[in-house]
Amino acid sequence: MQGKRIDREKLEGALKGFLKEPGQLIFGFGRKGGLVTHRMYRDDLHGFSMFNPYFSINGATLFRRVFSKDVKVLLMLRPCEIRSIVELIKLNQIEPEGITTLSIDCPGTVSLGAERDGLPDDPFEAKDYMVEHRDGMRWACTVCRERRGVVGDLGIRMAGDKSLWAFPYTEKGKAFLATIEVPEEEFKGGFLLGEDKKDAEPFATDMGTFSSELSRCILCKNCRDMCPICYCIDCLFNGDEYLPKGDALLNKIIRKGTDDLPEGRELFHMVRLYHVSQTCVGCGACEEACPQKIPLTKYFKGISERLQGMFSYMSGRDVKEIIPYLTFKEDELKDAED
Amino acid sequence: MEENRDKGPEIVGFACSYCTFKASEMAGSLRMKYPEGIRVIQVPCSSRVDPAFVIKAILEGADGVFVAGCHPGDCHFIKGNFFTRRKIAALKEMFKAFSMDGRLKLFWVSAAEARRFVDKVTTMYKELKEERDAGKKN
Repeated sequence: MQGKRIDREKLEGALKGFLKEPGQLIFGFGRKGGLVTHRMYRDDLHGFSMFNPYFSINGATLFRRVFSKDVKVLLMLRPCEIRSIVELIKLNQIEPEGITTLSIDCPGTVSLGAERDGLPDDPFEAKDYMVEHRDGMRWACTVCRERRGVVGDLGIRMAGDKSLWAFPYTEKGKAFLATIEVPEEEFKGGFLLGEDKKDAEPFATDMGTFSSELSRCILCKNCRDMCPICYCIDCLFNGDEYLPKGDALLNKIIRKGTDDLPEGRELFHMVRLYHVSQTCVGCGACEEACPQKIPLTKYFKGISERLQGMFSYMSGRDVKEIIPYLTFKEDELKDAED
Repeated sequence: MEENRDKGPEIVGFACSYCTFKASEMAGSLRMKYPEGIRVIQVPCSSRVDPAFVIKAILEGADGVFVAGCHPGDCHFIKGNFFTRRKIAALKEMFKAFSMDGRLKLFWVSAAEARRFVDKVTTMYKELKEERDAGKKN
């Protein structure tokens, strides 16, 4: 594999060079106090945080519905965030023309809301930090499907000998990499982060467990709002067709019998489970946003992997792959009919 | 509600207006009988059925749901039912993950197959009834 051996200074230099051109922006992380936040840079890289093991929101949520063709944006995010962006490009929620996506090897993250000591800002320190704080790692990260920076236009990878490498995957990536003045070489060593192994057993649960875990749900719909790929403006659950109120609710209870309130918790989550099933990247932003700490990622990740497996699809792997529900083969699924 | 329950399972069916709904009308005009717990809803094409409809029907008390349309390749809108097949197959897989197999069925019934429509829905009705009776005994 052809790549460039880089270091932090060289990469920052290239990013600063990118910002010098008018109408070019960088979307990445920035330090603020002891914390980390997503930040859009226009002229300088003040407080730029390149590698940090914290997760609060999926950056794709913030970057959604950007359709500008004149402004060029370089996105330097985690693999799960880049994968969400790839899915949003397929769903016509992001204009791919102006953006260059750069994915960074991610050793796992801790919740930004959790207690922490110190803020590592170096990829290898971040890796060591995550090894030390293994118990504090977000559940979604412990079962991550793709933690390697192998998605998007360009990948920043950590080699086993503690050196940083950049690999271009597309023409856009090559164009950006050309601004780093280092000769290209053949990469021979091993990577610090290997391929993740898949679960052998498909996810299975039952309605009773699901229902009792959801009994904590207060239907605030934060999980939907923070989901990067749950993008519909006219969500089914915004009106009162699916979640009736007032007289309609009374009518429904009279018709249906005794019912738990708020009404429609299972309905809301099951419909969302299905609607995001092919595009869910399993980033865990829903669980992060849940004020009741319901283990939502377990269900979303389990169901989406099972349903994506049916069509040998993996969300966010490649912009050219079509979302399974939007295409078909004439000769398939012979046993679908009963 | 309890009285209703004793009558038998309630099945909600989404039927494509060009094939299955025509077949159900023909079954009616031919005086064929199918169980009365089956409510057929006419949709313009089987691919109009958002799986949210199916989930809503099941969670709000239906014992079973079927989605029925033209045979693959015979869709009035050329390719609608190919999308249905993918969507409903995935939804079935999801129901399987929730241990609710058998609650959702997918049928292909053309406008001429009134007999096939009656057979399919009656079999589904009987299966659900047996399952429920077995559940009651335990």
